[in-house]
Amino acid sequence: MSELLLRLESLAHTLPQHPETAIVLTLAAYFAGLRLFSWLRSPAWCPPILLAACLLAGLLALLPLGYTEYRRGVGWLTWLLGPATVALGVPLYQQVHHIRTLWKPIVLTLPPAAMLAAGYAVGIAWLLDATPTVLASLAPKSVTAPIAMGIVEELQGSVPLLMGALLITGVMATLSITLLARWGNIHDPRVIGFALGVNGHAIGTVRAFDIGPTAGAFASLGMSLTGVFTALWLPLMWHFVG
Amino acid sequence: MLSILRGFLLLTAFLMLGDITVELFTLPLSSGVAGMLLLTFWLLLRRRLSRDLAAASQPLIGMLALLIMPGVVGIFFQADEFSGQWLTIFIALILGTLLSSLTTLWLMQRLVASPRERPHE
Repeated sequence: MSELLLRLESLAHTLPQHPETAIVLTLAAYFAGLRLFSWLRSPAWCPPILLAACLLAGLLALLPLGYTEYRRGVGWLTWLLGPATVALGVPLYQQVHHIRTLWKPIVLTLPPAAMLAAGYAVGIAWLLDATPTVLASLAPKSVTAPIAMGIVEELQGSVPLLMGALLITGVMATLSITLLARWGNIHDPRVIGFALGVNGHAIGTVRAFDIGPTAGAFASLGMSLTGVFTALWLPLMWHFVG
Repeated sequence: MLSILRGFLLLTAFLMLGDITVELFTLPLSSGVAGMLLLTFWLLLRRRLSRDLAAASQPLIGMLALLIMPGVVGIFFQADEFSGQWLTIFIALILGTLLSSLTTLWLMQRLVASPRERPHE
């Protein structure tokens, strides 16, 4: 009996090190977050991923499992982010026909819009004396998360801070575009959708699909193009300026 | 199920190809983004989306929120690192996003509307 207790005690020390512990915690928190989200009647300002992340952080704080250990264990799951990023090429290919119908405004709007989406925030933060890590973490704030994570690693920013920035940007872009479109008397779903995708990444795109399928299609196009374009110019520019 | 696996093989092969391209030409890109670009070019050349690729990419894209969660959680454990800068961060994000939203709407609205103003086009 005492031997069983002894083994139980050693298990309590080794179990947190196993990868399956990290994966079980992540999946459980994810599904609990989804449940909580629908229970709260799907609030637009609080995506389910934020709820799930709070639950997971609470679990990690309670259990004898450090964040570094957790990251090592969950690596098996996060590796899938690589093939999932590659998979984003499929919807991009499916949206390409929209470029053909409206190529001129898209080609002319995208580069300045994507550059300013990063530029305004980095410029303001720079004027307010932010550290280089903060600047690097804010720069890809309008890019969809998997691509933005790749960019922020290139720029040597902080992934967690970027995630917070993505959340605030997505919610803020959705709010301001909805209000500005009403105020500026803009009703074209192509314009509103594209602006939502370029500035508000996945969160803006979800809102665009609420408006209608045309707005949604242009939002996912804007989101994909902003991601690709920013992944190309931002690291180059960063190396050049920094 | 086999269809998903075949598609997954293709995606992972493109990820490897992206890795090789990035290393070979020392590009400032992540291998995932490089792989995505290569896959898009390949699809544009073939002009056809295979069933396998669609079967594998759909669930992976649906899982993206789950896959980025471990990164999001880090903010709770590294918040001290940015103490004293939170106000700067909030101002930059809120004001920056408002300004960039305004610019995009204005630019796109002007450019979409302009061809209609010229009757000969």
